[in-house]
Amino acid sequence: MHASPSIMSLKDLGIDPLKAVVSSVSELYKLPQDTLNTIKADLIIDSFRFHYENNKYYRDACNEKGINPAHIQGYDDLIKIPLIPIAKFKSASNHELLSKPLTAIEHEMRSTGTSGIPSISRRCSGTIDLAVSAIYAMYREFLGISKGAGLYVCPSTEEIPEMGMIKALNMLAGLLDTHRFMVKQERFVPEDAIAQLKTWDKQFTRHIIGPPFLIHRLLQFLKQTGQTLKLDKGSMVITLGGWKRFTGQMISRREFSLMCEEYLGIPANGIRDIYALVESNVVAIDDEHQVKHVSPYVHFSVRDINDLSKEVPAGERGILAILDPLALATPGMILTEDIVSLVPGESPSGRSGQRMEYIMRAPTSLEFGCCAVNLERKMDEDEATENACPVTA
Amino acid sequence: MFNDIIVKNFSNPEFAAEIDNATNTIELGNPVCGDRIKVQLHIEDGVIKKANYAAWGCATSLATGNVFCSHIHGAACSDIQSMDKANIENMLGELDPSQHHCLEMLHKLFEKLQHTIAVQ
Repeated sequence: MHASPSIMSLKDLGIDPLKAVVSSVSELYKLPQDTLNTIKADLIIDSFRFHYENNKYYRDACNEKGINPAHIQGYDDLIKIPLIPIAKFKSASNHELLSKPLTAIEHEMRSTGTSGIPSISRRCSGTIDLAVSAIYAMYREFLGISKGAGLYVCPSTEEIPEMGMIKALNMLAGLLDTHRFMVKQERFVPEDAIAQLKTWDKQFTRHIIGPPFLIHRLLQFLKQTGQTLKLDKGSMVITLGGWKRFTGQMISRREFSLMCEEYLGIPANGIRDIYALVESNVVAIDDEHQVKHVSPYVHFSVRDINDLSKEVPAGERGILAILDPLALATPGMILTEDIVSLVPGESPSGRSGQRMEYIMRAPTSLEFGCCAVNLERKMDEDEATENACPVTA
Repeated sequence: MFNDIIVKNFSNPEFAAEIDNATNTIELGNPVCGDRIKVQLHIEDGVIKKANYAAWGCATSLATGNVFCSHIHGAACSDIQSMDKANIENMLGELDPSQHHCLEMLHKLFEKLQHTIAVQ
């Protein structure tokens, strides 16, 4: 297999192609689709080979399927790459996922869903280097934020330091001038959030950041108390986490957008939802048309629910498989439990690459939500006991 | 980040297994972070004949399960009951601040084991 000339040129110069691509998001989105696919495939093939050679558990799984690096030569072969079911990250044997020794691991991140069993993803320093650059580059590409105030409607990383969702959102705080976390000791008081927003009025562009269900609580409070706020030109509502509450009730994206416009004065193009998975380094962020763009160096393969070896055409629903070349400590070839579809056609934003629509967690999954759901359940239990919050969403 | 004790016990979890004929089970969980350790015991004639575990969570909590089982496997119940808390303090070696919750879990595992033995 021969890598593309662009990747070879970088290697010849002593530049790590992964480090180059994570900081070149805008440039990659401008490439013709075929060129982008070739670059992406080269990176994923390199990654597949590394994990095959350094991870016994993964190598055995590949050999069982009769696949080795010789079988993966280009973009069209990516579908043959064996996938690790995401449940493995929750298993008591998840130590088998390491392709590097534990001494190389710098960080452990977790997501705890409705089952209460944490999914643990381990990253070495090389993966952290890549993930940090990758996430900031995607934030800059789609959010364009470099100043302002962030009302974080979620707990702080101080309270939950290992939770992936909070960690990713907290990184955004580094781009802002100031921020406040409004969930403390699993309690959210909407009056305090509104008071904080008013304190920042005419000083900062105010952004609201957090999982959808908590921002929805704030919106419900504004509605029930007959209050409306007019945030600023350029204000955004940035959400990360599922749209399903712990009760199973879905939060309607359309209703959420209408409420943001009515009660916060933020139009739909200022609402940006993020799809991310603690087990991978991909983020998919809404553009101004509310369409999520996948990190351009990560490949999304949407599989037929009835035959996971086959892909479904763009526009059709299937189970998401992720091929993430940034994962250096554990294989980034993951079969998720999320049902998604890829958006067909050209993007009105002019970007190439994949765009996705998140549909729902697969009904067969033991989890129907991410750590946000677990947090919400805990908050509701506490509030039921203490009767601390006047709002029930 | 990980000391030699954690690396050894995480990488070679010799007590990670299930016991078919367990006489007792000890379980610990942290509802917020989700770390969980389940220890199965086979206690007979005042001796812990078998101790195995399953753990879910960070590498240090997985190692903690193995460290706990390796210390109690084959031990006399009377020795466990007379155990000094100070003995437990160094069992996991030097920990990072983010790993200290595992030492608390280890202490609780011993407390639960002592309680289990006491009520037998």
